[in-house]
Amino acid sequence: MEDMMKDRVEQLVDYIMKNCLWQFHSRAWDREKQNEGILTKTMQILCEEPVEKETPMDKVYWVDAVCLADAFKKRYSWLAALDKGEIKLLMQGLKERMDYLTITGSLNAELTDPHY
Amino acid sequence: MPYHKFKCSECIPEREKHAVIKGPGEDLTSALPLGYLNTIPGSISERGCAYCGAKHVIGTPMKDVIHMSHGPVGCTYDTWQTKRYISDNDNFQLKYTYATDMKEKHIIFGAEKLLKQNIIEAFKAFPTIKRMTLYQTCASALIGDDINAIAAEVMEEMPEVDIFVCNSPGFGGPSQSGGHHKINIAWINQKVGNVEPKITSDYVINYVGEYNIQGDQEVMVDYFRRMGIQVLSTFTGNGSYDDLRSMHRAHLNVLECARSAEYICNELKVRYGTPRLDIDGFGFEALGTSLRKVGLFFGIEDRAQAIIDEETARWKPEMDWYKERLQGKKVCLWPGGSKLWHWAHAIREDMGVNVVSVYTKFGHQGDMEKGIARCEEGALAIDDPNELEALEALEMLKPDIIFTGKRPGEVAKKLRVPYLNAHAYHNGPYKGFEGWVRFARDIYNAIYSPIHQLSFVDISKDEIPDQTSFLTQKMISDVNLSEEVTASKELREYTGNYDTITPLRNKTYPDFPAEKKLSAV
Repeated sequence: MEDMMKDRVEQLVDYIMKNCLWQFHSRAWDREKQNEGILTKTMQILCEEPVEKETPMDKVYWVDAVCLADAFKKRYSWLAALDKGEIKLLMQGLKERMDYLTITGSLNAELTDPHY
Repeated sequence: MPYHKFKCSECIPEREKHAVIKGPGEDLTSALPLGYLNTIPGSISERGCAYCGAKHVIGTPMKDVIHMSHGPVGCTYDTWQTKRYISDNDNFQLKYTYATDMKEKHIIFGAEKLLKQNIIEAFKAFPTIKRMTLYQTCASALIGDDINAIAAEVMEEMPEVDIFVCNSPGFGGPSQSGGHHKINIAWINQKVGNVEPKITSDYVINYVGEYNIQGDQEVMVDYFRRMGIQVLSTFTGNGSYDDLRSMHRAHLNVLECARSAEYICNELKVRYGTPRLDIDGFGFEALGTSLRKVGLFFGIEDRAQAIIDEETARWKPEMDWYKERLQGKKVCLWPGGSKLWHWAHAIREDMGVNVVSVYTKFGHQGDMEKGIARCEEGALAIDDPNELEALEALEMLKPDIIFTGKRPGEVAKKLRVPYLNAHAYHNGPYKGFEGWVRFARDIYNAIYSPIHQLSFVDISKDEIPDQTSFLTQKMISDVNLSEEVTASKELREYTGNYDTITPLRNKTYPDFPAEKKLSAV
């Protein structure tokens, strides 16, 4: 079960890495906001929960989240068989993995530069 | 860490950490080269300087401006016209290049008087142009000429003109990327917020990090206008100086080349609260998703979808014709910075080619993260390569084609590897749905060129084939294709026109009346 979850998280990571750019902002604090904003909203869309999109920043996260959720649903048929609890667990795993790959485990020495 | 040590660089051991091979199971936490560091002494870099990065990459694509270098004439002359960033005002910014022509005596006695004289002369020579960008070079920076003071003096004496000063001498960074950074920050500090624009739409964007190479900007702006979006400014290809002073009024910054222009987007976000949306203008799916995102942001997704459907129906059969013939070809994707990640996945998806190596001359580790993430296993990633390393990599990888600049491109030809110009393009534009097909056509023509086939013959020992007197690309490319493909009624070669840009300049667009009250400045 754990292996299956890990494998599914890796499939989602692979899609993001090959097709998206939002996860690679230049500073750690931006990457944290991007990962949190977009992946939380993607989870809400997949779980058919309400999504905040009133402010410009929320809206720009939502835009990426809509496209990501659509791509996940289109490519990974196993997603349709998951209930909301399982989707939340999956997306939590995805968020942790993305944070590791792009922030906490990243070898990019510029992430902590205090200036743009 | 899967570092790759080049044999030719064994005498420069520091180079080892600048190349990695993405092996099985490797990810970005284990496979990432160093980047954006000073070139190691002894390594003959292919990089440009920080002056060139500021002036010739970012400043000069602005179209209605005199771009003046304060320094020896070689600084501007030798970097002039290295890119084909055209404009819709008869390419004013490409036709002329201006320098104060500093000489040895000015190094001793100073060149501020010379600078002032040159600025005034240039404005008098082009009386319709009232805007200028002014660039420091190594020589003028080292003697301490105060170009800000001279610019202020001229603006006081000639109140109708406006001058932007860029302090990015050649030594101001490890590479041209240092200049990108400096000019981004200088522009927002000096100029953004100085002009209030006329807002004509409910949907207003800045299109940032786009340099109109062979018309790329005009292709993308066409899509935005078809969606009823006002492109307030383009930073900077085909962009207007005064439009770029009003960047603060856009609702969204649509960012293409994050390497050269993310700085100004980040600052616009912090100072004015304008969000940043990173997009890809290359590749059918990536471009479609990008247009859709912009549409979603403004609640006009249907307009974006209509364009995606129309363009895909028109151009996909032509892309697929080339994909059938390019399947599995090995590519070294060796551009300057952003194209290594813009193209790495899209060319695999749309053209079926296999990226065996990515390199970047001036990219940062963030660019390598994006590029390596988009490559498949086994790809060799190199930061700031020298010529010998590039030659060694070509011998090792044996690519079918290389996408790079003209200097390493000409070197690759000596190894009988055809090259396409990744910076200035061959027969662009390459952006947009049609542009992407033009890129595929150029790749096809390069790989299957009958002339190129002759280069494989070594006249010192091989027999010269005199029986094969006539060959075409198609005769070479279609040898091993199935009849289903060669006789397909669906697939076809590129059928677009030679010039795709001029018609866009006279095009009329649908009228989408604004719902909100618009400014009348």
